[in-house]
Amino acid sequence: MEKNSEGQVIVVTSGKGGVGKTTTVANVSSALARLGYKVVVMDLDIGLKKLDLVLGLENRVIYDIVQVIEGECTLKQALVKDKRFPHLFMLPAAQTRNKDEITPEQVKQLCKQLQEEFEYVFIDCPAGIEQGFRNAIAAANSAIVVTNPEVSAVRDADRIIGMLESNNFKDIKLVINRLQNDMVEAGDMLSINDLTEHLCIDLLGVVPEDKNVVISTNRGEPIILNEKADASPAFNNIARRITGEEVEFLTFEDPSFWHKLKRSLFPGR
Amino acid sequence: MLDFLEKLFSRDDSSSRQKANDRLRLVLTHDRLGTSEKLMETLKEEIINVIMSHVEVDGKPEVNIIKEGRRSALDISIPLKGR
Ligand SMILES: Nc1ncnc2c1ncn2[C@@H]1O[C@H](COP(=O)(O)OP(=O)(O)OP(=O)(O)O)[C@@H](O)[C@H]1O
Ligand SMILES: [Mg+2]
Repeated sequence: MEKNSEGQVIVVTSGKGGVGKTTTVANVSSALARLGYKVVVMDLDIGLKKLDLVLGLENRVIYDIVQVIEGECTLKQALVKDKRFPHLFMLPAAQTRNKDEITPEQVKQLCKQLQEEFEYVFIDCPAGIEQGFRNAIAAANSAIVVTNPEVSAVRDADRIIGMLESNNFKDIKLVINRLQNDMVEAGDMLSINDLTEHLCIDLLGVVPEDKNVVISTNRGEPIILNEKADASPAFNNIARRITGEEVEFLTFEDPSFWHKLKRSLFPGR
Repeated sequence: MLDFLEKLFSRDDSSSRQKANDRLRLVLTHDRLGTSEKLMETLKEEIINVIMSHVEVDGKPEVNIIKEGRRSALDISIPLKGR
């Protein structure tokens, strides 16, 4: 693929741990690669890496990002190619090191090199607001904030958005993960509207709660390969919106909404 | 279907979703200000005192925190005494 302009560097962050950053990075980057874009994912969760497992690439890792920075190998040697998606590469995190062994400046240098080759550089950010977060946002020009419809996750997301704004981020978008429409309808879960009203940033996508996420992660396969999974179209839509395509927020990206509607309109079927 | 419509239009103030929204509204306002409720109260009081010590006011000046998008603002309303 021809590439003449610099690639976009997107950090995926949340503040609170376990809300779905790594799942989002793995699936959105796979979806973009499947669309034909050249994509690299950089795991900056140093010391607690998971992206290699979620992508199912753990057995192919030879070098890691700290070794690249310390000059033990080249950047090219450390990149792991995904066999399922020929345009997708991963730069692994180091597992036995600390987050403060690398600096924001070093991450910027690496991203600069990656931007020359790739159209999208995704950074999987560790939880928290310490050194690892600062490293992850240093080189990015846009941010995806992942949250869950849950008070503590929203509070942390708000804090992160504030920090991104004071670091001059202009492009900050929201991904709501693990939404359960039936609970929202029953008045027992914050809705999409509630979240965008509290956080006051644009919505990039909504991913429903889906057991298939755990199953896919067990297998080390991105969920977008399972066309039947509820979360699959959600991640595909996020990828398409990132490319600039206008994708309607149909049915809150939840196919079960249609099933329910069909059932209430045509009860006999 | 009736059930569905009822749920759509009734706003159940005691639902856990409503509770979550109320709590978030409060906590986010204070988080964004980087300050506690108590400090806000002190601030309000001091602002009012400063104003009242310099100008003659008609009634009680009001100081409120209002939200404009992601920013909060202090909304100060001072009824001045006519001449
Ligand atoms: N939409 C979903 N439905 C069901 N389970 C989900 C969903 N999204 C994520 N999970 C599960 O939640 C857990 C945490 O997800 P993930 O590792 O992506 O979060 P994270 O934000 O990267 O966590 P950390 O802060 O530890 O890096 C995983 O076990 C994952 O399978
Ligand atoms: Mg993670």
